Amino acid sequence: MATPYLCVEKLVKKFGPFTALGGVDLEVYPGEVHALLGDNGAGKSTLIKTLAGVHQPTSGQIYIEGNPVTFRSPRDASAAGIGTVYQDLALNQLMSVTRNFFMGRELKSSFGRLRMNEMNQIAHDEMLKIGIDFSDPTQTVGTMSGGQRQTLAIARAIYFGARVLILDEPTSALGQKQQMGVLKTIKRVRKRGDIAVIFITHNEIHSQLVADRYTFLALGQVIGAGTKESLAHDEIRRLMAGGAEMRDLEQELAEV
Amino acid sequence: MSDRSESDRLVKESRFERLIRRPEIGSFIVMIVIIVALAFASDFKAFNALGLKNNIAIIAQYGIIATGAAALMIAGEFDLSIGSMIGFAGMSMAMMLKWGLPFGLGEATPMSAFFLTLIMTLGIGWLIGTIVVRSGLSSFIVTLAFLFLMRGVTEVSFRVINKSTQISGLQDFKETSWFADILGGRVFGWFYDIWFALGGNLNRRGEQWVDGFDARFMWWLIIVGVAWFIMGRTQLGNWIYATGDDKEAARANGVPIDRVKVGLFMFTAFCATMFAACQVFDTNTSDAAKGNLMELFAIAIAVVGGTLMTGGFGSIIGVAFGAITVGLVANAVFFIPSIDGAWFRVFLGAILLAAVFANERIRKRITGGI
Ligand SMILES: Nc1ncnc2c1ncn2[C@@H]1O[C@H](COP(=O)(O)OP(=O)(O)OP(=O)(O)O)[C@@H](O)[C@H]1O
Ligand SMILES: [Mg+2]
Repeated sequence: MATPYLCVEKLVKKFGPFTALGGVDLEVYPGEVHALLGDNGAGKSTLIKTLAGVHQPTSGQIYIEGNPVTFRSPRDASAAGIGTVYQDLALNQLMSVTRNFFMGRELKSSFGRLRMNEMNQIAHDEMLKIGIDFSDPTQTVGTMSGGQRQTLAIARAIYFGARVLILDEPTSALGQKQQMGVLKTIKRVRKRGDIAVIFITHNEIHSQLVADRYTFLALGQVIGAGTKESLAHDEIRRLMAGGAEMRDLEQELAEV
Repeated sequence: MSDRSESDRLVKESRFERLIRRPEIGSFIVMIVIIVALAFASDFKAFNALGLKNNIAIIAQYGIIATGAAALMIAGEFDLSIGSMIGFAGMSMAMMLKWGLPFGLGEATPMSAFFLTLIMTLGIGWLIGTIVVRSGLSSFIVTLAFLFLMRGVTEVSFRVINKSTQISGLQDFKETSWFADILGGRVFGWFYDIWFALGGNLNRRGEQWVDGFDARFMWWLIIVGVAWFIMGRTQLGNWIYATGDDKEAARANGVPIDRVKVGLFMFTAFCATMFAACQVFDTNTSDAAKGNLMELFAIAIAVVGGTLMTGGFGSIIGVAFGAITVGLVANAVFFIPSIDGAWFRVFLGAILLAAVFANERIRKRITGGI
């Protein structure tokens, strides 16, 4: 079996007295889509923010290709090949598509001057590659649709050489057609074979469509994990609901 | 139907539509109106040789500090200590020139007094910025504390060392020091020479009347030019806008927002120091009340120039137009003696209010709110 590109061991993250993550293990392999599932507040976003260098873990260790690493800032994480598309997308609303695309990694010439034309061209081309023909890269992000913003954020992460592409609920705010567009994008990324995708979603069908491997979180802990083959269909549904039996939930619903 | 794509929905704007959507358009129109109105109301005296020089002197003063205030506001912070910083810097330079350098380092030259002062003010700017980013407290309250702190320190230093809260009658360093001359002397003399050669710029005896602008005009142009270039065309500028727009998004993308902010607090301190240096070397005086209220003028001009109070949006050129507008109105009483000078404040209050509403509309439009 291939070695995981990214591996997490016993990761703990506390916010003051609150334990958001209580010892989480995770392995992600290149060329695979790893679905990270769990209820609201399970700690999914906290986990990936720790992987992305936004939060520092309270304890536990992150490994990249087997080597222990410490991320002090998002810069460290992105240098190690971790590209993150946050739930809130980390876009600056008042700024243009291009300026957002290159945020923090601007192309510059002498005196820190921006190579604006080149940047406009790249932003346009990269977004076209994953499915949106965006005519005006000087438009502000505040006026874009949810799907367009998602595309921008994904195109940005891929362009900047992400080896692990982390997508936090990329389909949640989108209409049907654009959801499928994002899933297609995920499949395209997977097909390249060199990128590992961590895909967070609440949508069982979406995860079934693209995931190779699953990890289920509940209340900050892993309650189940495995490859698609090793997990039965009901098992996935049960774990997604935080371990409760679907039948019980249906019964509870019926009683109301 | 199916061959329609997202990009078809955005209508290409004409050049004119783009122009009227620029952030500086509002302050530009207001400026033009004021220039024309003042020209007629003052019977063109406001723009004769001396009128132009005097107007530009105050415009440049406002412009220098408003540029610093605007850059900082674009990054989402305020600096209320600008006025006290001006007082402090002026005191520091004048006192060194009169009483010698501190720690028994001997006589001060204009250059050593300036740079020693600059080191102190940049250090204070750094301290303010560091307190703001480390504590997460509002810059409004932190810099308000420094407003009182530094004004107090300035007065106490004056009383303890100088026994009086003002210094006047320093020697005219411009005559002996090129350094004092580039800060407090005259610049762009060629402009007035040409004017004279063309038959204008004459005094009552028919000689050349005015021989140049105050040096602060040049410093204002330099500061505006550099700030405009940095804000619009460089990586640092991108970072400044991003920091003020959504600092968490900027941080997540690797923008060093703390360093950006601290740097900008140092920039406002630099602008205040330039303001003070031009004043000290121009008039050879200083007193403890110098720069009073200037922080509020700087913020007002930044807003009139189109800068958003909430950060992330603004234009250095718009702020320059704002400085011209406010400077002209502040001086108007000298050219139109029949009006009461207090109308200036009424006017400033009114356009400030109008600008806040206009800016809010702009913000809603670019965030898709309307
Ligand atoms: N910065 C923070 N400070 C304190 N508590 C936090 C912080 N961030 C997250 N939490 C808490 O940690 C828990 C996990 O939050 P997290 O955002 O990781 O959940 P999630 O699994 O992403 O949920 P959702 O599916 O709703 O996005 C929540 O109870 C949340 O309130
Ligand atoms: Mg979340």
